[in-house]
Amino acid sequence: MIKKVKASLSEKILFIFLISLGIFAFSSFFLLKNKCLFIDEVNLKNINFTNPENIAVMNIECGNVVIELYPDISPNSVERFKTLLNKKAYDGSAFYKVVENTLIQAGDLEFGNKEYLDYSKIGSGKSGLGLLKSELNDEFEFTEGSVGFARTTEFNSEDSEFFITLKEIPIYQGEYTPLGKVIYGLDILRKIKTGNKAIYVLRPDYINTFRMLNSN
Amino acid sequence: MRILILFLLCLNISYVKADEIYNLLKIPNLEIYKLKSENNIRYLNTKGDFKIGVNDNIKCNKVNQKNLTDKFSVIEKNLNYYNSKFLKNISLKYIVLCEDLYISDINTGGIPDTKKRTLILDINFNPKYFERMIHHEIFHMIQKSFSNNFNENIFSSFNNSDFSYAECSTCSDRLNLDLYKNTNGFLTEYSKSIPSEDMAEIFSYLMTDENKINEIIKEDQILRNKVGFIRQGLSKIDGNIL
Repeated sequence: MIKKVKASLSEKILFIFLISLGIFAFSSFFLLKNKCLFIDEVNLKNINFTNPENIAVMNIECGNVVIELYPDISPNSVERFKTLLNKKAYDGSAFYKVVENTLIQAGDLEFGNKEYLDYSKIGSGKSGLGLLKSELNDEFEFTEGSVGFARTTEFNSEDSEFFITLKEIPIYQGEYTPLGKVIYGLDILRKIKTGNKAIYVLRPDYINTFRMLNSN
Repeated sequence: MRILILFLLCLNISYVKADEIYNLLKIPNLEIYKLKSENNIRYLNTKGDFKIGVNDNIKCNKVNQKNLTDKFSVIEKNLNYYNSKFLKNISLKYIVLCEDLYISDINTGGIPDTKKRTLILDINFNPKYFERMIHHEIFHMIQKSFSNNFNENIFSSFNNSDFSYAECSTCSDRLNLDLYKNTNGFLTEYSKSIPSEDMAEIFSYLMTDENKINEIIKEDQILRNKVGFIRQGLSKIDGNIL
């Protein structure tokens, strides 16, 4: 006669947990595989821009991010940024430095591109246009969605790399050159791939295209 | 049950922690104490101990918040003597407040760093000299930024010819910070260490007790020359500091 073994409470909990985990993993694989699933698309045709000459559109995996540039605050830096956009220099640029819910950085045109990604040199690439003088502004607050020109530890070393803040970073005020602000698509930026335990991202996400609105 | 706990431990997820302050100043374990002030000085305090510098030779400890609250008004009052333009000129923007500051195992009141625009202050420094120490350290930043205005050879020439400074500030035993009764060219024993410390001592007294210095220089020709030299150097930067 076969003796019936009764499961203990912990075994029952573990069994239920494993079943739930299986269901969750199964549904995640099929339903949530697409990280852009719940992202609203920004339709540029539905937006009336008052200053289209200062609007830039970055297209990444989950859609369009619309950025308003501030030439009044940082004239030389915005001019450089526009020059690079018009040269399509940022197309294929990697978001190689990402701190979850804090900051994303891209724009190394030499060592941080989809075609050529060199982790030993990334962050030191040059645009070939020379370094710019920092245009610091003590009034500009780096709130959520602020776009700034990245630099080395020294001032006056801005070139092509830029960062976007995903939360307010008060200490950046007066420390970095402001370029503009994200006006649409911040949730898209939050979907950019982060590193696991480092700020540098292996197999990063890339910018598909980055253009001035008028050139789209 | 143990298997269940093991499973739960496996689900432990770690995140990258951002430290924007570290990225800027290269000093770990800091947090903002006061960000906005009239002269644009930003006050940070230690939320944990830190070690920085060559072979981690600079060490300072986490602040006790009550201790900091008690002392902050004195710190701010003294820094408010300087306007934002002057502070920008001498590359000072961040005040890092910590407890028990050591450099190479020597207790010190402050460590200025013009490159990082930072002045680290030990809030536990002897209260008797605390306010003066702040200005003393600020002078080092002034001198670093305007070395031509405070030429050490010219300054040293005001001393009697038989006097010589030590090789460095910490390689002499001239460390006492009390004001001499008979100054004879030097305000404190520490003034005799090296020219830059001598200048910093004079400046710190000018900022905290100018009347006393004006009294002393009536009788002390050497000090009168030294004080005149410092005042002249400062007036080229900002006529309103003294």
